[in-house]
Amino acid sequence: MKKKNALKIRRRHSELSYHAMMLPGMIFLLIFSYIPMFGLWMAFQEYAPAKGILGSPWVGLMHFKYMSTLPDIGLLVRNTVVIALGKIVIGTVMAILFAILLNEVKNKLLKKSVQTIVYLPHFLSWVVLASVVVNFFNLDGSVNQMLGTLGMEKINFLGSNQLFQPLLIGTDVWKEFGYNSIVYLAAITAIDPGLHEAAAIDGASWRKRVWHITLPGMMPIILLMAAMNLSSILSAGFDQVYNLYSPMVYETGDILDTYVYRMGLISRQYSFGTAVGLLKSVIGMVLMVSSNGLAKKFTDRKIF
Amino acid sequence: MIENKSISGRIRCFVIYVVVILLAVICLVPLWNIVCISFSSSGAVAGNRVGMWPVQFTLRAYEKIMGDSQFWRSFGISVVRVAIALGINLVMVVLMAYPLSKSKREFKARNIYMYLLVFAMLFNGGMIPTYLVVKELGLLNTVWSLILPGAVPIFSVIMVMNFFVGIPKSLEEAAIIDGATPFQVLLSVFIPCAKPSIATVALFSIVGNWNDFYSGLIYMTKVKNYPVMTYIQSLSVNLEELIKAGGSASALANAAEVSNQNLNAAKIVVAVIPLLLIYPLLQKYLITGIVMGSVKE
Amino acid sequence: MRNKNLWKKSIVLGMTLTMILFLAACGADNTKEPKDGKSSQSGDGAQTEENTDPYGAYEETVTCTLGRQTLQNPKIPEGDSYENNAYTDWVEKRFNVDLTNAFEANDGEDYERQVSLAIASEELPDMMIVGRATLEELVEDDLVEDLTSSYDNYATDYIKGIYDSYDGRCLDSATFDGKLMAIPSTNPDSAPSQIWIRQDWLDKLEIKLDEDGNAAITREELEMVAKAFLEKDPGESGNPVGISFTYDMNGSETLEMQAISASFGAFQKQWFQKEDGTVYNGSTTPEMKKTLEYMNQLFKDGILDPQFGTRTWDDITALMTNGQTGIIFGAWHIPDWLLSNVKSMDQNAAFTAFALEDDKGKVNVFHNNPAANYVVVRKGYEHPELAIKIVNLFHDERVTSKTLKDDAPEVYEYEQLGVDGSVRPLRIEVNSNVSLLNDYGAIVQCVNGDITIDEVPTLEAKNIVGCVQRYNEDPNTTDVIDWARYHSRMKGIQLIQDLTDYDSLVWVSPLYLGTTKTMKNKSANLDKLEAETFIKMIIGEESTDQFDSFVEQWNAQGGAAICEELAEKAQ
Repeated sequence: MKKKNALKIRRRHSELSYHAMMLPGMIFLLIFSYIPMFGLWMAFQEYAPAKGILGSPWVGLMHFKYMSTLPDIGLLVRNTVVIALGKIVIGTVMAILFAILLNEVKNKLLKKSVQTIVYLPHFLSWVVLASVVVNFFNLDGSVNQMLGTLGMEKINFLGSNQLFQPLLIGTDVWKEFGYNSIVYLAAITAIDPGLHEAAAIDGASWRKRVWHITLPGMMPIILLMAAMNLSSILSAGFDQVYNLYSPMVYETGDILDTYVYRMGLISRQYSFGTAVGLLKSVIGMVLMVSSNGLAKKFTDRKIF
Repeated sequence: MIENKSISGRIRCFVIYVVVILLAVICLVPLWNIVCISFSSSGAVAGNRVGMWPVQFTLRAYEKIMGDSQFWRSFGISVVRVAIALGINLVMVVLMAYPLSKSKREFKARNIYMYLLVFAMLFNGGMIPTYLVVKELGLLNTVWSLILPGAVPIFSVIMVMNFFVGIPKSLEEAAIIDGATPFQVLLSVFIPCAKPSIATVALFSIVGNWNDFYSGLIYMTKVKNYPVMTYIQSLSVNLEELIKAGGSASALANAAEVSNQNLNAAKIVVAVIPLLLIYPLLQKYLITGIVMGSVKE
Repeated sequence: MRNKNLWKKSIVLGMTLTMILFLAACGADNTKEPKDGKSSQSGDGAQTEENTDPYGAYEETVTCTLGRQTLQNPKIPEGDSYENNAYTDWVEKRFNVDLTNAFEANDGEDYERQVSLAIASEELPDMMIVGRATLEELVEDDLVEDLTSSYDNYATDYIKGIYDSYDGRCLDSATFDGKLMAIPSTNPDSAPSQIWIRQDWLDKLEIKLDEDGNAAITREELEMVAKAFLEKDPGESGNPVGISFTYDMNGSETLEMQAISASFGAFQKQWFQKEDGTVYNGSTTPEMKKTLEYMNQLFKDGILDPQFGTRTWDDITALMTNGQTGIIFGAWHIPDWLLSNVKSMDQNAAFTAFALEDDKGKVNVFHNNPAANYVVVRKGYEHPELAIKIVNLFHDERVTSKTLKDDAPEVYEYEQLGVDGSVRPLRIEVNSNVSLLNDYGAIVQCVNGDITIDEVPTLEAKNIVGCVQRYNEDPNTTDVIDWARYHSRMKGIQLIQDLTDYDSLVWVSPLYLGTTKTMKNKSANLDKLEAETFIKMIIGEESTDQFDSFVEQWNAQGGAAICEELAEKAQ
């Protein structure tokens, strides 16, 4: 009993310390995040840099209405969501699988070098990587040469509306899975190895141990990453798409960001861009909060 | 150790090795291609002839880099930036993740803070307002303009918080009973236990700060202040854009002379080397994490 | 109140100006004597504020901040920078000014971003270069200085002569309500889009082109060459491609189908005004439909690259460098920066340039937008005339002075090194509309020995004479630059000269009126519709019979509205 009381008093003091710990970070956020958020007004204005945020004319929901009347808006949203979802699902699965496999590699040198190598593509920008991808997948590329030796017909991957989305998803997974696996590797190391040993002694197979110990142990991080990725479902990777697409595949490859970018080339569209960004943020927030709720309901652990 | 004894275990082990090595090879392809390009003549590069081996081998690109004083200056700026940003990021992450890992009962304002953070992560005011703030603070053209706007990596805070939540309560309570203040608890219990996650966050901070070229383009108004990735980005002369922008014939001709992709490739290679060295260094901490965990329990 | 004062001021100013002009006209000679300007700076300290010496120095050091477009430039000598180099020193010493850079950024998107940030933070540099859209915005919000009187008073006759060579079209584009709000950078005509064909391959296959000798080939000849190159594969690549274009559908002259559409009388993406005042777009004409039908035929025949629609600029560079294709469409200057890649990989490569003629044997061309971009001066800057003085210095004295070597040895050295214009304080070009052929004429005369090298007008032209002479001595030279300069001039500009001599060029003038309200919102969509439809029609995914419904759609989605806005603007 005495112990518990002492703890309670401690707690009150602790709360003050907790606020103190939050303070410096919150100051930074206030200055560099919250104050600039006045810029979100632009979404409801016809912003011109020369007039400033205070002087630009108020247009209300005009940009949002305009967005909804774009002839291609349905297509743009569909492409964006399909590409983004594909990347999230396949990318996450690949990263988790790779982390589990790599964790099984006991040779330290091999483990280190493999991990260092697979995270390399992350450092190369899409401008650079796009040319590598094109060289592989165009009609004279290695992939088509392989198809040719197998006696199959050549495929123009970059010009095919059926294959362009898989190509985007596949190459993005290839670029990012190594880097994404880092966080899952960290999650695996946080699992108590004693659990594995105990299960092994009980005769549980490797597959069973992965399924019943490793995966559940990684679950908080998996959920966190999933929620994070979901919140950016309306961003399908501008740099990648921009460097790989062409009018041939606008039908399946044109996404919100590339469209807004092309609009901006004709005249700087700060307000429209902000409006699209704001909409994306709101949807991201909704998805983030609801996945938090779902996580709480089904796993009894919140994400944030 | 146990699993290696059985035959199925050995087969599994073999399959895993093969798969892992294959994946590594696939990931090595693009960088190897770029390394080959950096050692090839510019004509061969323009002809798209460089594959997995240099064509018309030359060291000229690397000789040029050696003489490019701005490249090394920018390289230095990036090193300074990464070092300072890493320190600030880690302090912020650890300081904020700890209180947030408390339950609402232990820390009443916890959820308010949490939502403020999530909000700041998902919403942003855009380039112009942030620029105005940085300018008003007099940070333009200083390394701080690259560091401070990203001082709090919110995603990392949430991630480390999740690791903190997983640390057994008993450890903390033992420390409190021994008379430790929250700061001491954080330092002596949470940080050592969460080393792998902190190392991960450190990696994110280093990689993110090193790779970011965009803030340099916005906040640095003089080329001499560019960090290395911004400098490299500014080097890639896009003839296509230049001609669309109505570049004159002489400007195009001059640009074509510089736009040797092998030099750019060499710069990318040099700029990636520090990142290559970082991971093995940090991996030490990832491994200690496991040992720590097993000892503690 | 303010306005009234302004009126008074301008009337007084106007009267003084007229008087000065009279005086200047009387003293005819001394207007264009840079040397005099130089001596007067030290001598007459007590000059009045109405001193309009085009090269006059300021008594007290004047500061001037600049927005600078940078470009990777290998030729800046070690130790020099965009902020401190021979060109900036020249301006600083000559006019007693102190130049500093408010910001530097790569030409293009990066620079435009810095301009927007400078405008948004209400700290404009004293002078900077902007595009048409930004200029309109700045003028609308009254942020830039009226340069009318500065131009009238300070620009040298030579500079005025250059702008006059555009029949007012150039200055008009910077004139708002009768006031000159910016100094435009000139953009001389450079048409047509030329077809560069590998001459060494033609020789190898013994193909003779352009039998009638009018420097232009027919579409049939083009097809014949492409087929021969495809069948015989003279580049021995094993994988030849006939004619390749990038997927861009901008109507540009390089690596796009501009030459082909022009041979049908179609001008993609250009706006034209009919006699009744209505405006239409070249992409929506029946001639465009014919172009697409023809392109579709080329695709079916395999003459057009089977990967048409996904090819990027780099892809095509690779195709020609590898000897897979020997037919390249582009402006006269592409040997300098694109075809040079071919030479560096294949020592035997040589090109000949042709134009593509229409059914009547004529070559259809359109005038360029005469203004590329603009120098603006911040509203309230005390010395707006400094902008004009800098233009005088670089585009009159530097070009025309015979004694530059002695007057400004550092600048002369820069010219010799070929340091391009991007390191000048104000990066604009001021060249007369006929400068291309004039300079070329001098080059040819000098190469033929008719005039001495000193008589060649510009330093750039002098350098080219050297390249051409070296090339003539040894046509198998391994020097890529000599090879490139020879081709761009003796083949590229020579083609323009020939077409001009034969009177083959048929000129049309598109409208260049900047962006309209509907354009801002709808253009991205219209561009997408056009690019998608045209590519599909060319590769046969959509029938060209659908062209009319494309035009309907195009009009409905904002095209018609833009035409109306432009018609209104054109009045």
